[in-house]
Amino acid sequence: MIRKLLDFGYKLLEKNKKLEKFKPVLNAVDGFFFGTAKTTISSPHCVDCIDIKRFMVTVIIALIPSLLSAVYFYGLRVIFLIIISYIFGGLSEVVFAIIRKREIEEGFLVTGLIFPLTLPPTVPWWVVAIGIIFGVIFGKEVFGGTGRNIFNPALVGRIFVTISFPKIMTISWYKPLVKGIAGFGKWKPDAITSATPLMLYKSEKTLTSLKELLFGFAPGCLGETFKIGIMIGGIFLVFTKVANWRIPLTYLLSVFFFSYFGHIFSPDKFAPPTFQLLTGGLLFGAFFMATDPVTSPFTNQGKFIVGIMLGFLTVIIRVFSGYVEGVMFAILLVNGFTPLIDYLVVERKYGRKYKIIKY
Amino acid sequence: MNRIKHYKTFKGGYKFVNFTGQPQDKLIELGAPKEVLIPLRQGFGNEVMPIVKVGDEVKAGQIIGRDDESISSPIHSSITGKVKEIIKKNYFRREVTFIVIEGDTSSEWLKLDISEKDWRLCTEEELEKKLYLSGVTRLGTCGIPTRYKSSIISPNEVEYLFVHGIGSEPYNILPKTLLSGKKLFHFIEGIQILKKILPKAKIYLCLSNKEKKLSEEIEKLTYDFDWFELALLEPKYPQGYDEMLVPTILGKSFPYGYSAANIGIISLNIRAILHVYEAIVENKPFIDRIIALSGPGFKENPHIKVRIGTPLQEIIKNYLVSETRVRVILNSLMTGHLLNDYSLPVDSTFSHIIAIPENTTRELFSFLRPGLHSYSYSNTFLTLKRFSKRPDTNIHGEERPCISCSWCEEVCPVGIIPHLLSKMVKKNMIDERLMKYGIFNCIGCNLCSFVCPSKIPLAKNIKDGQEKLIVHGCDRTQCILPYFDLKGLEEYRGIK
Repeated sequence: MIRKLLDFGYKLLEKNKKLEKFKPVLNAVDGFFFGTAKTTISSPHCVDCIDIKRFMVTVIIALIPSLLSAVYFYGLRVIFLIIISYIFGGLSEVVFAIIRKREIEEGFLVTGLIFPLTLPPTVPWWVVAIGIIFGVIFGKEVFGGTGRNIFNPALVGRIFVTISFPKIMTISWYKPLVKGIAGFGKWKPDAITSATPLMLYKSEKTLTSLKELLFGFAPGCLGETFKIGIMIGGIFLVFTKVANWRIPLTYLLSVFFFSYFGHIFSPDKFAPPTFQLLTGGLLFGAFFMATDPVTSPFTNQGKFIVGIMLGFLTVIIRVFSGYVEGVMFAILLVNGFTPLIDYLVVERKYGRKYKIIKY
Repeated sequence: MNRIKHYKTFKGGYKFVNFTGQPQDKLIELGAPKEVLIPLRQGFGNEVMPIVKVGDEVKAGQIIGRDDESISSPIHSSITGKVKEIIKKNYFRREVTFIVIEGDTSSEWLKLDISEKDWRLCTEEELEKKLYLSGVTRLGTCGIPTRYKSSIISPNEVEYLFVHGIGSEPYNILPKTLLSGKKLFHFIEGIQILKKILPKAKIYLCLSNKEKKLSEEIEKLTYDFDWFELALLEPKYPQGYDEMLVPTILGKSFPYGYSAANIGIISLNIRAILHVYEAIVENKPFIDRIIALSGPGFKENPHIKVRIGTPLQEIIKNYLVSETRVRVILNSLMTGHLLNDYSLPVDSTFSHIIAIPENTTRELFSFLRPGLHSYSYSNTFLTLKRFSKRPDTNIHGEERPCISCSWCEEVCPVGIIPHLLSKMVKKNMIDERLMKYGIFNCIGCNLCSFVCPSKIPLAKNIKDGQEKLIVHGCDRTQCILPYFDLKGLEEYRGIK
């Protein structure tokens, strides 16, 4: 059935010259439903079964616990926001593919899902649309598409809306739904609260209990609150090798380290390490955003360096800046350093002098 | 004294697990065919001169090509019959002279015309002469050194001899089949013969660490050889390459792009040792070869003993599956040549003939399906080792831009960054930086192209880069010669 429709589409394109521009769209749909018929030309005669689609889909599978928890805590409206994000993100992707006469790439499958999950639950749908369009265009397409972008597109969009609409993005939060089937039977929660655990700590120095943080009963951004789910998804990602273990591990360890010593020296400013680890978007950012292969260094040593920088910046921004949350700024800032770090690591690796070797 | 030693594996590489169509423990002997085509350039060495004419009667085991002046080993007729014609043919991208012999399918063969006394009583010169005349000296990546110009170095320069049967490729000949029964004793004797020819050499037998029983048996038999060591290695591709054996076992770096013989190391496989035994003890010239038919493209996967020069068709016609189109590949799934022309003959470098199905079917939602039978470097298929993996030729996805996942760097056995080099070559940035980043260290194992999720032909791009650099006047000598003290360089250039 689908095959017939697609073949009909190809025929239409052949007949009509004007429609030819839309070939990437049809190719993308075709590729989405069917695998390729191409075979290897020369050695290696047999190649790995994985492709970029499966690579990206693995990230989406890892996001499922977060996604479900978001719906559970904040109602069916979350799904609506995600659809909005996919539609507008996909459209901007398609427009650029048509203009550039290139294939549509799979990267936006992940961007379109991660972006809404980082937003506060009260966010209006048009903010989602603006954010994803900005993120895709200025975070990715202006650099030349997937694989060439310096900054994580989802984060570019997220920071853009944070700075452009500070009131919407920081002031009002929903209290998560917890009773019965909660959000699965409701459009959105009614109760409004004004502070996330990090805000509470900054203003009143009260610590939210660990249980509330772990299970996501404390208010926060859509996909970022259910820490157990994020950890499961993150470990799945690391297990499948889609995300490299080096960045999340060093990131979390260095956050622990810096906040531990910070807490010893200045207990009123630095929150205790376990609280730091379980609040805000730290886990989500460490597993799903900092590990984005395109914007993180490709060298192993570079990954360790980036992890430490991220931890340091996150703690510093959380403690000393006007913002309560430092993860997204830290990641975006470090993304900018990535090419430099890679360059230095590679130069060091190959710049060594060799001695004469005798057998 | 326990002489089994486990070695730590190298960094990178990939273990091919459980591919369907592994060679079975079964040896079938194929008789002499009606017609053979014998290439006058087989294995290591230059092409030799034909010393027979069209119409001459030849016996199986008679020397038909020989050139004592250049580095080469004699070549024998593998069947008894009459020389039909002498032709030139394109054989693996090289023009090679072939001698076509029409035979009477008798299985007789002519013994080497040298005294049959016990090898222990022979002088080294006698042994070397016998080995050279048998043609066995052309085996291995650089031949077996003798005083008859069969390799680029002389026997006294050999410091190490590696005998490898690790089995790191997707498909491997089974050492168990090769060394069954009496063959094991022949093998040990072959090693002793080689020790006598190469007096300075320390001999390492490299086996997979899975071969527990075999290694214990060999250990018992070699108990009092103080020049012998049994090295057990992890069967991780490309461990079987000389370039990887030297660093893992000796802990020294390898002059990539040169031969192991340049640093005084000879590496031979198990079959070569058995051929040495046959030549010295049984006076048998090098006229047949054991080949493993592997891969799901064959109905069954036996080891087959064939005469050299047998056309491929004769060998595979009874085994190829008929229902699907298959691709036939020589020796290695990763680096092997495509065999299109089934009329080409088997020569002394053949070890596997692999057939895998040409898969051009388009699967619905191929990227979402769980794949218990899919092989992947990543764990995204959530499959286990015990499920068999079915290789095919489909590329399983569209080519996409590189996302710098650095899997290619992780698997690279020589520590270069394939995606970086590939990007630089594609952008036409051909300069010294490519050399600095080690483009000439590439040993062509093709693992980077195998694992790439974006389906970029990284290994091909790197090769292109090397070729472009050579056009610009940079070549690997500049990376290697200042740092290594190499032997037999002039001779090596003469061959290539």
